Amino acid sequence: MHAKSGNASIRDRTQEFLGIAERVKKSYCSQNGPSSSGSKPEEPPRSAMAMQSEFNRRASKIGFGIHQTSQKLAKLAKLAKRTSVFDDPTVEIQELTTVIKQDITALNSAVVDLQFLSNSRNEREHISTDTTTHSTTVVDDLKNRLMSATKEFKDVLTLRTENLKVHENRRQLFSSSVSKNPTNPFIRQRPLASKSAASTSAASPLPWANGSQVDGESQPLLQQQQNQQQQQVVPIQDSYMQSRAEALQNVESTIHELSSIFNQLATLVSQQGEIAIRIDENMEDTVANVEGAQGALLKYLNSISSNRWLMIKIFFVLVFFLMIFLFFVA
Amino acid sequence: MVKITALMVLKCTPEGADPVILANASDLSSFGFFQRPSVKEFIVFVGRTVARRTPPGQRQSVQHEEYKVHSYNQNGLCALGFMDDHYPVRSAFSLLNKVLDEYQKNFGDSWKTVEADNSQQWPYLSEALTKFQDPAEADKLLKIQRELDETKIILHKTIDSVLARGEKLDSLVEKSSDLSAASQMFYKQAKKTNQCCTIL
Repeated sequence: MHAKSGNASIRDRTQEFLGIAERVKKSYCSQNGPSSSGSKPEEPPRSAMAMQSEFNRRASKIGFGIHQTSQKLAKLAKLAKRTSVFDDPTVEIQELTTVIKQDITALNSAVVDLQFLSNSRNEREHISTDTTTHSTTVVDDLKNRLMSATKEFKDVLTLRTENLKVHENRRQLFSSSVSKNPTNPFIRQRPLASKSAASTSAASPLPWANGSQVDGESQPLLQQQQNQQQQQVVPIQDSYMQSRAEALQNVESTIHELSSIFNQLATLVSQQGEIAIRIDENMEDTVANVEGAQGALLKYLNSISSNRWLMIKIFFVLVFFLMIFLFFVA
Repeated sequence: MVKITALMVLKCTPEGADPVILANASDLSSFGFFQRPSVKEFIVFVGRTVARRTPPGQRQSVQHEEYKVHSYNQNGLCALGFMDDHYPVRSAFSLLNKVLDEYQKNFGDSWKTVEADNSQQWPYLSEALTKFQDPAEADKLLKIQRELDETKIILHKTIDSVLARGEKLDSLVEKSSDLSAASQMFYKQAKKTNQCCTIL
């Protein structure tokens, strides 16, 4: 049982084991309880249980801490692998590194304390061999896990330093001065690949030409040669390279601005298109209205110009006035 | 105003010996007629000195009075340019690169065996001198940047005119909606007059 509890997921097994141990101890001390030395044997089991639970609590805390630290370590490893020359999350990596280091030292001291506690308890009181083996196994396991975490941490740090070294090399390659003849024809001939004789290697400069940011300036860059560290000229090369990099970044940002301007233009024009459609509808309504009105007026004109009714009405009005006139005069 | 005064191609022997001039082109129109020979000598001398001091595979810029001398030593073949202070350094070096490549393409490796100063003119160099007086010609990045800036200006103007068009369209909408309302009134009026005058 204790061998089982010594391996993975200590927390869970520990609780089970704790329950069983309590039961056993209860039965043990209930056996001893009625006897004269009742209280005293009760004390050690109870404080033993208290110590045991204290031990278990601490062990579970340490295990949790190790788990969290290994998670942070995985994050750090991902960051360290991800680095490229231009986009270094150095600050985050540094922060994570210090945090992980602190965690590891804290966990280390906690494990040492735990071991000391278990040793002292084992020496001080009368505990079954199962408990002692259990506690030693727990402590050993925690120590192993902590050691593996530390080893992973060290691996990540070495990986990171290697990456930094590779970046430094690349940077030196780009800001270099003196030639090495074998690589020279490859590199120098690339812009004249269509014309010059010995150029076969459009591919070979590319892998270390470091991706899309450098492609635009790869032609002039690739005419550089490898470095033999002449310090006073390297600053000039650096500023040359930096000015090229800066110019490229300017071009890129200008292109971004241009794209945003075009997008705004498109939005504006589409909005105005909608307005134009509205105008069109209004005009169609107007045309319909005017046509209807024109039709109505035409009807009116017809009715006015060719109404027999009207003639009869005029005739009657005339006759009426004639009557009145005749009546008043005669 | 940016200006190139001279372009030279030299062969640099490692350490010690004087570099050998392979091609030389200069634009001395800014100097008086009688100063030209001395200026030419001066250019030759400064060129030789700078080329000798430039280690292979490196670029260098030396300030001399009001001129900057840019030199690029590429594996024994060295190109120099005498430019004034305003000429952008980057364009200068890309121009030197181009000159060297062109020379390599034209003359292959024959320059390695030349020991005496070459006095014949290399026409490419002289036309390069005139063509590249404008730094944008030499440096593609500069050209691209310039064109992009022009495009941006044009786009700004376009957006301004589109906004004006938007305003006009708004006024047109107003007018057209007024028109449609007025025509509706007209229609109703016409219908009304048609209907209620049958009596008289």
